[in-house]
Amino acid sequence: MPMTSFFQASALEPMQVDVVEENQNVEEEQNYLVENASIDLEHYASQFTGLARLNRLLFIAEHCNSLKVEALRMALNYTMKTTFNTTLYQLIHHKLEIATSGSRGGASSSGQNNLPDVASAINSVDTQWVEVTSKKAALKLEKLDTDLKNYKSNSIKESIRRGHDDLGDHYLDCGDLSNALKCYSRARDYCTSPKHVVNMCLNVIKVSVYLQNWSHVQSYVNKAEVTPDNNKEAYQSISSRLKCAAGLADLATRKYKSAAKYFLQVNFDYCDFPELLSPSNVATYGALCALATFDRKELQVNVISSSSFKQFLELEPQLRDIMSKFYESKYASCLTLLTEIKDNLLLDMYVAPHVNTLYTQIRNRALCQYFSPYLSADMRKMAEAFNTSVNALEDELMQLILDGQIKARIDSHNKILYAKDVDQRSTTFEKAILMGKEYQRRTKALILRSAVIKIQLHVKSPPREGMQVEMSIAPASASSVVRN
Amino acid sequence: MAAVAQTDYAQLGNDLEREELENGATPGSIRLYCQLLAVYLLQNDMCNAKLLWKRIPPTVKQTSPELTNIWVVGQKMWLRDYAGIYEALQKEWSEEVKMIMGAVQESVRERALRLVRLAYSSISTDDLAQFLGVSGEKAVQVAQREGWQVDEQSRIITPKKIEPVPAPAILSEQHLSVLTDYVTFMEN
Amino acid sequence: MATALEQYVTMVQNLSASGNLTQLCDFINKSTDMLTKNASHLDNVFGTLDMQQTSLGVLGVLCVKYNLPLSNTSDIDTLLVQTTEFLSKCNGEQVRYATDSYAELCHKYAQTLIDRKMYSSGIAPLSQAIQKIQIHPAQLTSIHANLCQLCLLSKNLKPALRFLDIDITEISREGGRFDAKDYLLHYYYGGMIYTALKNYDRALYYFEVVVTTPSVAVSHIMMEAYKKFILVSLILHGKIINLPQYTSQVLKRYIRPLCQPYLDLASVYAQNNLADLRTTLTKHTEVFNRDNNMGLVKQCQTSMIKKNIQRLTKTFLTLSLTDMANRVQLSGPKEAENYVLHMIEDGEIFATINQKDGMVRFHDNPEKYSSPNMLLELDKEMQRCIQLDSKLREMDREITVNPQYVQKSTGSHEDDMPGTSTGPGKIQAY
Repeated sequence: MPMTSFFQASALEPMQVDVVEENQNVEEEQNYLVENASIDLEHYASQFTGLARLNRLLFIAEHCNSLKVEALRMALNYTMKTTFNTTLYQLIHHKLEIATSGSRGGASSSGQNNLPDVASAINSVDTQWVEVTSKKAALKLEKLDTDLKNYKSNSIKESIRRGHDDLGDHYLDCGDLSNALKCYSRARDYCTSPKHVVNMCLNVIKVSVYLQNWSHVQSYVNKAEVTPDNNKEAYQSISSRLKCAAGLADLATRKYKSAAKYFLQVNFDYCDFPELLSPSNVATYGALCALATFDRKELQVNVISSSSFKQFLELEPQLRDIMSKFYESKYASCLTLLTEIKDNLLLDMYVAPHVNTLYTQIRNRALCQYFSPYLSADMRKMAEAFNTSVNALEDELMQLILDGQIKARIDSHNKILYAKDVDQRSTTFEKAILMGKEYQRRTKALILRSAVIKIQLHVKSPPREGMQVEMSIAPASASSVVRN
Repeated sequence: MAAVAQTDYAQLGNDLEREELENGATPGSIRLYCQLLAVYLLQNDMCNAKLLWKRIPPTVKQTSPELTNIWVVGQKMWLRDYAGIYEALQKEWSEEVKMIMGAVQESVRERALRLVRLAYSSISTDDLAQFLGVSGEKAVQVAQREGWQVDEQSRIITPKKIEPVPAPAILSEQHLSVLTDYVTFMEN
Repeated sequence: MATALEQYVTMVQNLSASGNLTQLCDFINKSTDMLTKNASHLDNVFGTLDMQQTSLGVLGVLCVKYNLPLSNTSDIDTLLVQTTEFLSKCNGEQVRYATDSYAELCHKYAQTLIDRKMYSSGIAPLSQAIQKIQIHPAQLTSIHANLCQLCLLSKNLKPALRFLDIDITEISREGGRFDAKDYLLHYYYGGMIYTALKNYDRALYYFEVVVTTPSVAVSHIMMEAYKKFILVSLILHGKIINLPQYTSQVLKRYIRPLCQPYLDLASVYAQNNLADLRTTLTKHTEVFNRDNNMGLVKQCQTSMIKKNIQRLTKTFLTLSLTDMANRVQLSGPKEAENYVLHMIEDGEIFATINQKDGMVRFHDNPEKYSSPNMLLELDKEMQRCIQLDSKLREMDREITVNPQYVQKSTGSHEDDMPGTSTGPGKIQAY
């Protein structure tokens, strides 16, 4: 195992990082607006620090008109207070201007702004702040650079490492992610203890998450995990962080089951990673992925009876209820509750692109579980239990049967679903005959191929003078075929 | 009786095919094409019937309305339009193809009956009549002869499935030797 | 008759009689110029020589005649008649010493027939020609492609089947003249023949052979075959089946991109939506028509309807004809009933129609694999596998005793071995 992870890690040079960016996680519809969100922004934002907080606020602003101005304003203040990121400041300010002008009859964005009192109080760009901050940032950068050069000329490994880290931190504060990543990665060569290696990994992971470079995240998680660390106390905390990051990467790359497993391993007492996600996030992501991918037994063992995860779920009472309703097979209320929280989920930047997929999978799992104890089931009752019509249910079931998730047949005449008992003997015969035929086909092809190779026959470019004679014929139909 | 006749037709088909080939590039006789086409229809070999029709020289087609008539049957068979088939079959066939076309009609009817038995758990009298190319009353008679249930009032017929005939078992000794072969094969 | 020709006749007769056939071939090859010069007297030579006893000599004369600039129709007619007679009367043992000239003669003969649109007259002679020259029925010759082509052109496909139905295990080198084109064409034409006869399974296999031929250049035959491969694969399996690993990179890199409309068709087919399929079909109509593949494309449409009905049989026990028509996008219950009926007749689904309430009831395959007939069937399949297995073993044995192979595998690399050793060496790899 360590071998493979080593290779994975070394296959990705940190320098190549800005080249690759995975986009497979953005397939789902991105242009949507949420109407009925119930988020206490103040509380929500306080769970995160740094870019995590900013990114999340901006995501909410993007997808929810009612929270837009508040979210932008909070982001603006936070940017001013904690960063050197003047670019971001100007960007947010611009957005805020557009958003607030909407209430004064501007045509640009929403139109329905229900916070006119806040909106009217928008200040113009604080140019002074921008100027001062830029200057400060430049000075600090220069200082850090000089420091680093000095360390290097003195070749004090530990100082060089720290110098890189400080420079990385600074770039991060300025919002220059790719340079931050470069600095953090360069620290790698000056690590003298496992602790340093892990620290370097965590830094790289953090920035890679911001960059949404998930394969990078995954490989540095692996790297950190195989680095031996003796410190028990720190280990718990670091391990939890790594699990969070790995879960996030798997969620983003649609490996939901594996994501669930990672989130479930996070230790509640050591879950402190505000630069990435909050304990509530762990609860939400973990619970949804688990519902979508775990079978009943796995749910029981890993979720319901996990004392650690129970603490997480307490943070999200609605999800806790969904989980228990699902496990008690009260699907109708479970699905209703899921619908209720959907809008809030759509405002979470990491889970939003997966909400529909996860919901479908959860629903399918519920359908399968509902039917599993029966030999036959009345589809009318089943439709009732799933808040749907019989016809819609029929379509859903059809898909599930075709996918092999439910072994059953639909009696459309009487609207009854019958479990299908598979005749093992016949299927075995069928398969055997099919395999026999396939074997014959392949073997014949191989024998022919060996004959072809024996006379060294292959299609090659025609000799120059014989151009037209050789390969230019395109016999298209029986009637027009002419042999040259 | 039927079996003997059928093997004869198969032989006739082979002979005619050879004759056609030996003719080379010179067109064959009208008799040759009519009979071969009819034999293909009898064998329900629609692909070859169609190909034959396509390769018969236009001059031959023009001189023989009977050839065209046979192909009309073929076209209907291609479409599995039973009513059309029976209608197309209602011709005064020449001596050369009379027997074969008669056999075609019989085989189509037999096939239709087999299909109805296989595919329908209930069928209207009219549809059955169409499958068999007979009148409604005649269809009822056929159904009754087959031992099918006929509901006079709703004019619905319930065909009865045939129990599969148990085929004779293979001699156990022979069976054993075959199995021995397999085991040796597997072990290698 | 000129003396040189007399000498030719004497030499041919003597060498044939004494059985010095290799020497005779040499002599005949050297006489080509002389024969060409005496073109006007060649028919005399043809008349003098016995086709049975001195087949090689006659073959030499005929080959020269095909290379003459014959403009007179009756001369060509005579030549065709002479060739036909020769092919039926010649001695296989003898002509096997000159497989290259023999194949050449057949190609020219076929081409002349095609030029004169006398397709069907070549079928019987070429069938005979193949059988004479073959060492065993599973040997492929370059004449095979000629025969298939004539069969296709004359729309008489049955005569080709007796050759196509045999699985090839060996290819005649024909003195190094056997060309990749002969091979590609044979399998391409064969695929078309099976397609026309609706033996799609076999057709697919033939097209697969074409597109998996070792290649370092793009061949048009391969490309056309790949298009048909896609279509037949859709008709038969509802998707493009996987090609074996040894498929040349040329196919993936250069040929696939040239077949985009077909790949589009396949990807839309996977969605199981008839309306979408029709849209794609309309979009690419021009290409499909130009490639002469419209017939097959239309069958893909039918096949999708059937596939969708088969999907229904997997999910439903009963279904009304009306629902079925809706689900597979048919015009109404009557059309649905027709499809179901045809599919039952062809053994593609197991179902019964109830006209009383307009429902279809789907069944499992009634085959219980317990009848003696089935046992017999299984037995046959087993036998076929066993036969193939023993063929493989035999080939393996041949390789292990091959001196070149032994040399290679024992690790001695002698440079004086020319490149020929790649043959047996590679077989192992596949």
